[in-house]
Amino acid sequence: MRPVPLAVGRSVPRRDAAAKVTGAALYTDDLVVPGAWHGVTVRSAEPRARLIAIERDPAFDWSQVVFLTAADIPGENVVALLTDDQPVLVADEIRHVSEPVALIAAPDIETARAARDATRLRTEPLPPVLDPLASERTIARYEIVRGDVDTALAAADLVIEGTYRVGHQEQLYIEPQAMIAVPRPEGGVTIHGSLQCPYYVHTALGRALGLDPARIVVIQEETGGGFGGKEEFPSGLAIHASMLALRIGRPVRMVYDRHEDIVATTKRHPAVVTHRTGVMRDGRLVAQDIDVVMDAGAYTTLSPVVLSRGALHAGGPYLCADVRIRARAMATNMPPNGAFRGFGAPQTEFAAEMQVNRIAEALGISPAALRRRWAYRAGDATPTGQVLKSSVAAVEVLDRAVEASGFEQARAARSDHRGVATFAGHEGAVAPDGVAVVGGGPRFARGIGLALGWHGAGFTGSGEAYLASIAGVDLTAAGSIRVLTDSTEIGQGSRTVLAQLAADALGVPVDDVEVAPIDTSVVPNSGPTVASRTTMIVGALVMRAAERLRAEVEARTGRPFADSYAADVRAHGPARVDERFAGFPGIEWDAERYRGDAYPCFSWASAVAEVDVDLDTGEVAVRSVVQAVDAGRIVNPVLAAGQVEGGTLQAVGYATIEEMKVADGRFLNDRLATYVIPTALDAPRIDALFVEAPFLDVPHGAKGLGELPMDIPAAAVVTAIHDATGAWIHDLPATPERVLAAILAAEEAGA
Amino acid sequence: MTTGMEPIRFTVNGRPAAVAVPGGRRLLDVLRIDLGLTGSKEGCGEGECGACSVLLDGVVVNSCLVPVCQAAGHEVRTVEGLAADGRLHPLQAALLETGGVQCGICTPGMLMAGVAFLDAGAAGSTPANVTPMDAAIREAISGNLCRCTGYARIVEAIRLAAEGRVGAIAAPGSNGAMAAAPADGMSAPVAPLHATDVPGAERDPGRAISGDPGADSPRTLAEAYALLAEGGRRPLAGGTDALVQQAAGVARASRFLDLSALAELRGIRLDGDALILGASTTYAELRRSPLVAEHAAVLAELAAVVGAAQIQVRGTLGGNIATASPAGDSLPVLLALDAEIVAGSPRGERTIPAAAFFPAYRRTALAADELVLRIRVPVVPHRTVAFRKVGTRRAQAISVVVIAVAWHWDDGHWRDVRIALGSVAPTPIRARATEAILEGSAPTAEAAALAATTLAAEIAPIDDVRATAEHRRAVAGRILHRIIRDAAGW
Ligand SMILES: Cc1cc2nc3c(=O)[nH]c(=O)nc-3n(C[C@H](O)[C@H](O)[C@H](O)COP(=O)(O)OP(=O)(O)OC[C@H]3O[C@@H](n4cnc5c(N)ncnc54)[C@H](O)[C@@H]3O)c2cc1C
Ligand code: FES
Ligand code: FES
Repeated sequence: MRPVPLAVGRSVPRRDAAAKVTGAALYTDDLVVPGAWHGVTVRSAEPRARLIAIERDPAFDWSQVVFLTAADIPGENVVALLTDDQPVLVADEIRHVSEPVALIAAPDIETARAARDATRLRTEPLPPVLDPLASERTIARYEIVRGDVDTALAAADLVIEGTYRVGHQEQLYIEPQAMIAVPRPEGGVTIHGSLQCPYYVHTALGRALGLDPARIVVIQEETGGGFGGKEEFPSGLAIHASMLALRIGRPVRMVYDRHEDIVATTKRHPAVVTHRTGVMRDGRLVAQDIDVVMDAGAYTTLSPVVLSRGALHAGGPYLCADVRIRARAMATNMPPNGAFRGFGAPQTEFAAEMQVNRIAEALGISPAALRRRWAYRAGDATPTGQVLKSSVAAVEVLDRAVEASGFEQARAARSDHRGVATFAGHEGAVAPDGVAVVGGGPRFARGIGLALGWHGAGFTGSGEAYLASIAGVDLTAAGSIRVLTDSTEIGQGSRTVLAQLAADALGVPVDDVEVAPIDTSVVPNSGPTVASRTTMIVGALVMRAAERLRAEVEARTGRPFADSYAADVRAHGPARVDERFAGFPGIEWDAERYRGDAYPCFSWASAVAEVDVDLDTGEVAVRSVVQAVDAGRIVNPVLAAGQVEGGTLQAVGYATIEEMKVADGRFLNDRLATYVIPTALDAPRIDALFVEAPFLDVPHGAKGLGELPMDIPAAAVVTAIHDATGAWIHDLPATPERVLAAILAAEEAGA
Repeated sequence: MTTGMEPIRFTVNGRPAAVAVPGGRRLLDVLRIDLGLTGSKEGCGEGECGACSVLLDGVVVNSCLVPVCQAAGHEVRTVEGLAADGRLHPLQAALLETGGVQCGICTPGMLMAGVAFLDAGAAGSTPANVTPMDAAIREAISGNLCRCTGYARIVEAIRLAAEGRVGAIAAPGSNGAMAAAPADGMSAPVAPLHATDVPGAERDPGRAISGDPGADSPRTLAEAYALLAEGGRRPLAGGTDALVQQAAGVARASRFLDLSALAELRGIRLDGDALILGASTTYAELRRSPLVAEHAAVLAELAAVVGAAQIQVRGTLGGNIATASPAGDSLPVLLALDAEIVAGSPRGERTIPAAAFFPAYRRTALAADELVLRIRVPVVPHRTVAFRKVGTRRAQAISVVVIAVAWHWDDGHWRDVRIALGSVAPTPIRARATEAILEGSAPTAEAAALAATTLAAEIAPIDDVRATAEHRRAVAGRILHRIIRDAAGW
């Protein structure tokens, strides 16, 4: 028999692609469910109020619908997650706009909507808290201290301060939230949905429905994007659909339209990050004092974990002896924020990288040279005292991005006419009401910006040990090989990558490996599909399970697995091996003191962005982004590049046009016409480059990749805007409005 | 004339289909629910995402904005119809090859936009033989949002297909084919594409939408007037405003008066010293009309920055005018060109200057029984017209400021100056004070600066979700300054 070529490292075609290009792939709303009723949600209109009564218009014929309130919840009124503070339906106090208060189902969608329109909430308004800085309720708080930052700041030649504000960002998966609940004959419920974490949904259903977990089945249908937006949110929706379905005894379909999806689902946490950085004139970094405040919104959701990751990444990938990072997530009466690709790191790394670029300017040192000097090397310790033992490629990715983008040459070519100088010599004209109007310089200015970042792979601290994920590989009675995990395919390619890893461990062609459908009655709990953990953690478990299965079969047959497994199934019947996560050697975390090994390893990235700024309007065209990434061994180059390209564009949108406008606790731009994301014409050329520094404690050497590309391009873009215009912008997004205001200020200063 | 429930017949992927549904039902719902073709997806229902894109007579449209009455007698092509003879369409194969598919929800729509682009290029029907360059491809798919890929691999796939560099790939099981049409031409309920855990699955009647508006599609203007006079009907041309408002519940019509079959509202012609544009002229038609290119090229320029492909092929000048949005991009151009709007009713026709057509926020000079018939644009030799749209992004953007400036050169001076703007006041406006400054003046730096500051003070923008008033004032002044400066060449 010919040797089987290794699958890992090859761009094995994506498994789900053929069905997706023919239209055969079935997403939740594509399922035909005869007899299903339609569910809709009655939502609050105020950020905070006491719910006095739910009034139903007597003119409406209520006999045609089913109407449920908090009193109808069979189990506990909680959407179970980290804490139990979020109700399934408001029972007493409304805590944010668009909070679910009641559920309605009808045989057709029109009737359900008409019933919703005939429902009024009688409330008594309460004073809302809308500013996290004014909030007195802390959802989570961390302090990470190393050395003595106050003394170090006092001794520094220069202390540079900066405050950076970032707003909400909407995940904007193109498939809105969708869930179908089907009552099971024996009294339970089956969920078909668009979701990332089947066992989150499973657990939450058990609590709220008061059902034996054995009677709950969660099936993930093809999912049209998640990015974190289908991590925790679907749990509540699945409960809603199930409550209605169990009450009626029929399937219930709940599919949000885009408007409801934007107003009611979680967003990336807004944050205010303040830095005080001590440096010496020769460029040494001596102190980092960082304060992070995140707006959690009305309920805890995942905010403590998001904040934790934000805090742990807040200093950037730089060695500093004296560091203090204080972080808190505050409760407000905004809709709760939640998971979104990057999970707290994009907010704090934006601030960290802006700060480094401003320091480089203040010191007159190239931002690349300064980073090369500060960046972590193997053996360095992070602020939590984690010694970075191996797989530390900060300098390598930096050099790769700087070189491939021609960063230094571009800077040198522009150094003579960069910044405010662009406007020198032109009289600014001011309109009668004081609006500065005219610059008089050239229309476009080009600039380039650099950033460096890191991303801890997998769950923070003891998270993975606590989860104790299980993944399996089995030989079915029919003689096929199946990978068993609950890791969901949400576009990132997990179905393909897990098959590649199993194939190599078994020594079989990748096409011989099936990946079991995501159905909690079939697959074990391998943890949520989040935190860039699927390839690194679950993939390693799959490989270990596969290796054990292979050894088992080979011991029985005395021949290579590939040649003998079919015969083995015939002779001995099906076989299954499960592998449970058992920790990484030498990784220890003290969650009380926030000390120790925060992550088993880190991935690294460096981004260079080039922009053209329209000086008349403040519009920014991002021309190119070069992003060099170390995510360890690359399992599938095309899929990996796709992750970098897509993540980079989300970061470009975050940097430039994606602004969620808020007033009185309400999202104002609640349509795709007003919450704009980049089109193909807004997208820059994106070059994804890989540096491979394998992580040696997993058999495949792969680290986390999915979130990393989102972490730092925003800082590169905003610094490029500065390079072009001389104007520093501290807030995200750098909308034309903010850019033009900064240009006008620079013009006035230069005039 | 069709009554609401006579079957509406058209072809889908080459096979006859007939559906007895209200004519105002969205083509997307007919495909997905009535015909069981769920390949076309819904990401917004408002024309913004392109996930629902299908081909209507070979042209890419958002099926969420097409009332099914407008598909009657036409040919619809969906993603399910791309693979043929057991082989994937070259663009499907190319997407597999480049890795342009991730979550896949945008893929069907992307494919249809890409196929429209490829077919247009092959047929040479697009202006100047579109070269499948990056920019042209990106423009062609700029009405299709993808949140996963960053677009690069999709663009690459379209390029490969355009250059004929894709290997043949066999189609996986032909799951998407429609059920055979029975002899009477009525489509039988399609067998479910996916058996759920409910045994004996069949079509899902609960998804049929009861509240869809009906539609009448008159063949003659007289018929249209008669129906309009009866009341209870809302005119509909391309539907790109009307169906969005329907979805958002802002202006719900119980019945549409579909104007698309009225020949009187179509066509572009030259009549003496005026260019006559039928009310149903689409942006795509403006972009490719040689008459427009010769006599009012700015109309083609503006049409190119309206929405994206799917909006340009459906949206009409008449619809833009009748909607009378302060952000309607054609309106400042019509104002600057001294255009006139010809309205008609059973009482006859009347001609209204564009400058008098928009009395108040989203109001027009039309009477309830009147239709916009055509637009008259005077052809003025040697007129220079500059146009600029500043939007929220580079395609599919609502305007933050639109400006159109027209003038004559007279020995180094500007004459007959017209400056019109959108999105800076409750209606599209002429900036008369600023015009007065430039009228008869040479475009000097001083004049430009004064004009810019005057304009910033003269307009009356508001803060809204796109921009603040202050930003709009500054932008309006600065782009006018730039237009003057570029024209003067200093
Ligand atoms: C995604 C998207 C992007 C868009 N981008 C832009 C843009 O960039 N710039 C822009 O200006 N607009 C834009 N629009 C709005 C819209 O496309 C335009 O206003 C378009 O010109 C409307 O034409 P229509 O034929 O589709 O109008 P319809 O929707 O058919 O009709 C609009 C209104 O006009 C009335 N009407 C139509 N024809 C007549 C007639 N002959 N006589 C009397 N009344 C009539 C209808 O009753 C209705 O009230 C966009 C819309 C969408 C959905
Ligand atoms: S569903 Fe988004 S454009 Fe039609
Ligand atoms: S592949 Fe997911 S939206 Fe395009």
